[in-house]
Amino acid sequence: MNRGDLGVNEIEDPPRRPPPGDDELLRLILESATDFAIFTMDPNGIVTSWNTGAERLLGWTSEDIIGNTADVIFPLEEGRGAASAEERRTALALGRAEDERWQERKDGSRIWASGLLMPLADRELGFVKIFRDRTEQHRSEELLRENEERFRVLAVSIPQLVFRTKPTGLRTWGSPQWSVFTGLNLAESLEFRWLDAVHPDDREETLKAWSEAPRKGEYYIEHRIRRKADDEWRWHQTRAAPLEGLKNADEWVGTSADIHDLRSLQGRQAVLLAELQHRTRNLLAVVQSLMRQTLRSSRSLEDFGAEFEGRLRALGRVQGLLARTDHRPIDLAELVTVELSAHRDGDELSDKVLIEGPPVAVRPTAAQAFALAIHELATNAVKYGALSQATGKLSVIWKLEKEGAKRLIRLDWCESGVAMSESGQPRRRGYGSELIERALPYQLMAKTKLTFGPDGVCCEIAVDQAEVEENANG
Amino acid sequence: MAERPLEGLRGKLILVVEDDFIIATDLALALEDCGAEVLGPAASVDDALELIAAGHRLSGALLDINLGQELAYPIADELRRRGVPFIFATGYDAWIIPDPYRNMPRCEKPVDTRIVERLLNEGNANA
Repeated sequence: MNRGDLGVNEIEDPPRRPPPGDDELLRLILESATDFAIFTMDPNGIVTSWNTGAERLLGWTSEDIIGNTADVIFPLEEGRGAASAEERRTALALGRAEDERWQERKDGSRIWASGLLMPLADRELGFVKIFRDRTEQHRSEELLRENEERFRVLAVSIPQLVFRTKPTGLRTWGSPQWSVFTGLNLAESLEFRWLDAVHPDDREETLKAWSEAPRKGEYYIEHRIRRKADDEWRWHQTRAAPLEGLKNADEWVGTSADIHDLRSLQGRQAVLLAELQHRTRNLLAVVQSLMRQTLRSSRSLEDFGAEFEGRLRALGRVQGLLARTDHRPIDLAELVTVELSAHRDGDELSDKVLIEGPPVAVRPTAAQAFALAIHELATNAVKYGALSQATGKLSVIWKLEKEGAKRLIRLDWCESGVAMSESGQPRRRGYGSELIERALPYQLMAKTKLTFGPDGVCCEIAVDQAEVEENANG
Repeated sequence: MAERPLEGLRGKLILVVEDDFIIATDLALALEDCGAEVLGPAASVDDALELIAAGHRLSGALLDINLGQELAYPIADELRRRGVPFIFATGYDAWIIPDPYRNMPRCEKPVDTRIVERLLNEGNANA
């Protein structure tokens, strides 16, 4: 269309200066295009013209270089002349050689040049090369590429499941590990489809945390993620934060780390600690009660001191045994032997004492009651019985007997060769005999019978094995 | 050395459930020193339930949670059903006690009878 068609031809063009000649125009363009290096070469690569831009970007003045080869601007390792010739061949073959490459400056530094080489209309005259300096952009692009590559390598090689996301939780990428772990491929994980791998009970919390994430500037939650391999819901700690230093501030990156084992370990540790605390408080309660009951039955403070110390030591010994077995059952023979040895001041037991019976694994709470009963019997024996007299003998023998559906442990403490004082009346009643005659029936539903025969003290204890040994409820 | 007897539980019948003989007998005597009458002590769930079923007019109960081979919760349920106030006496911290029982009044072992007296009298016990 021309202006006449629009009816505006009556407006005259403003008066103009006569146009410059072609050569003049070309010179003006070349000289003002200081951002562009523009130069011409003959067919062999000898420079024939060199503009201000070329001088600025490459450092050589036109005086330096016109008449010389342009090969010098190609890096040495690219073979200078070879690279230059290759570029000219491409330009001749394709009409243009477009490239981005390093070009060397006069001072040896380099610029990243983006441009092209074209044959001149008259091929006899050679070529024109035009490029601009894109070093800055190239460097930041390379940095970005390196960062991206570093991120990718990191994301696919660490054990955590990595993802990229919008601050809303909308997922834009997930690492291969995520897909392997959850069985959800990339498409099945994008946007909010990743929620399929989160435990249904944890989804609400998971989304709530995302709704707060933009305000907080970070995302944090512990939730269960399904492991495809065995369909196990495993606890993960998921964190995400904005990627710093990127123009696009709503690009976040996150990781999910498997903390399942750590969590159950912490749980187990807490339970162990609570159990330990329970045992400690219970033991304190036993000590306190033992003290008060010993006090009630003592005639003097001296009596109290000796009796209480003896019982406390017996309690200490059974605690020592339990500590060694890590609160698992103790063998009855060991329990009896340790208690009796303590009363013999380390003397050999074998000459006066016989301890014999099949293995019985005594559970911890029963062990304490047994140990205290044995302690009271032994204390009596040392003071008045078999262990106080040269002729005295003691046998502690137990066997297992069937009684209906039950298996009974029948233990006999039998002293002999003892010259009993007076009419054989018991020397000690009170709390000590309570611990023998009443504690075991109370705690283990045992039947006990304490007799003071003419030959010495005998104590029969019959108890259901199920009460003594550990059962599943332990 | 004996503490001045407290009479705050006079005329009350208190059930004691504790599997350790030494603690149980001592606790029973301590409560009697406070004027209470003691039912039990019982060492197992069955024994305790039997005592409750016998139709005594219970004023309250003191329950150890861990009874060696079993836990005292069925006794707690039965006492609640009957509206009998009770206190747990335990070495366990609250967090490890299962949910329905976690927030019920609890005193730490070793038991201080003055605290038992206060909890039962203030009507703060589980009822």
